[in-house]
Amino acid sequence: MQVYDAAGRAAGLSNEALREVFFMRLTTWPNGSPIHVMVLPENHPLHIRFAKEVLGVYPFQLRSAWDRLIYSGTGLAPTVVENMDEMRRKLEAMPGSIGYIEKNEKN
Amino acid sequence: MGRRNKGCRFTAWVRVIGTVLFAGSTDLPALDLGSTDRQLHGFVSQGFVYTTKNQLFGESRKGSVDFTEVGVNASARLLPNLRMSAQGLYRRAGNSDTQGLRLDFAQLDYSLPFLDSSATAGVRAGRVKVPFGLYNDTRDVIWTRPTVLLPQSVYFDTLGLRQAMIAADGGELYGRYSFGEHSFGAELMVAEPQYDTGGATTFLTGLPNATGSLTGRPALIGRAVYEWMGGRGRLMFTAVDLDIEFKSGSAAVPSGKIAVIYPLFSMQYNGELFSLTSEYGWIDSRRSGFVPTPLSNTTESFYVQGEYRVASNWTAVLRYDEFHVNRDDPNGKTGSALTGLPRHRFYAKDVTVGARWEFVRDWLIAAEYHHIDGTAWLSTEDNPSLARGGGSADWDMLTLMMSYRF
Repeated sequence: MQVYDAAGRAAGLSNEALREVFFMRLTTWPNGSPIHVMVLPENHPLHIRFAKEVLGVYPFQLRSAWDRLIYSGTGLAPTVVENMDEMRRKLEAMPGSIGYIEKNEKN
Repeated sequence: MGRRNKGCRFTAWVRVIGTVLFAGSTDLPALDLGSTDRQLHGFVSQGFVYTTKNQLFGESRKGSVDFTEVGVNASARLLPNLRMSAQGLYRRAGNSDTQGLRLDFAQLDYSLPFLDSSATAGVRAGRVKVPFGLYNDTRDVIWTRPTVLLPQSVYFDTLGLRQAMIAADGGELYGRYSFGEHSFGAELMVAEPQYDTGGATTFLTGLPNATGSLTGRPALIGRAVYEWMGGRGRLMFTAVDLDIEFKSGSAAVPSGKIAVIYPLFSMQYNGELFSLTSEYGWIDSRRSGFVPTPLSNTTESFYVQGEYRVASNWTAVLRYDEFHVNRDDPNGKTGSALTGLPRHRFYAKDVTVGARWEFVRDWLIAAEYHHIDGTAWLSTEDNPSLARGGGSADWDMLTLMMSYRF
């Protein structure tokens, strides 16, 4: 599993910045262009692994942080894609997007 | 007439905001989040309240369905770092909330990352949610609160301060800094609370059916947060500082001043299966001018709450919640002697057991049982007999709520 974006910029983000990105608090790339966050549904095994292993949090913490942003107007929610095929397709198609994929699926 | 005017103004506001948010958008994103830069979200929640004695949110002794919360919000990214958002809210909760439709928030938010993106600073302005404690920012949304009713010692839902605490007109500076597993955040708000809605004047003056207005300098509200591991551990301190001029509208009552300091300490631990939460605070108020001699009073509020995630869509909750109208008079003896009201008006102790179940994605049902000793946070609008020395000290309550969100 790896964090992935078509332009290869995710590797340059620190762990702190990555966590801020997926909590929807850091909304722009270092060059100032907007970040678009893609995630799988909350109960998807890859989402659960990503939350725990990469961000060090539980999926309910992400959901609850996003809900607070949505309903207080202080942020946008990430785009939820239904499966890994859609994740890959959308990550390639939308400039500035970031998500996660299984490592062996990248190429 | 006042309400009709408010309704018209509200509709006009929504139209203006809608036009700005969705200008140039040919497809309203609605439920499909295809466009990540413009989003529309909302919720519809219907509650049921049954009480053995006393009343909460309507005629609850017969079983009340007079508890409805509906919200729709739109958010748009106008520039990479500039966001605009607004939410319309309809709420009904017995005689303690008769405002109906309202503009909950409408704000512009500009933020900038710096220090290699581990820090962010920003400003938001307009009608902004009041940053207070763990749950206030989104307290009308059951998806973001652990139970149908929040702990009433801290989050008064039937008393007049509620509307003033929800959102305020003004601005807020905020910042966040992350370092390894640690993150620090702070918000500072300078804003005019909505004193003219929901009976805040009566609550803050302590005068029954007070007429007049509250003015004076804007409210100052600050909140500092420390988070460990993205919120696995969370420590928070909030302080509200009000300095209010009360301009009496009645010849029989002189004008005066009210000063309020309201600190709140919050802590939370989020494990994989367990969450433990506690908040402790007090309201320190000084009233002068409209009372024969200056009056000082300090309340006290605290609760301890445990949540257990039985499965990913099932949660059980247990909570103990306590409130004292006067910290130095926890059992109401002095208050009762001074006012002739029963002791139970001066405290409330609430034990809550509850469960919530997301039975289908985005559909939720929550239920809880309360056993309560005391009536301190009950509304006299729903319980007129409380103001005449009536009411029952020991009572039970069952609440249910079903909600859909998008």
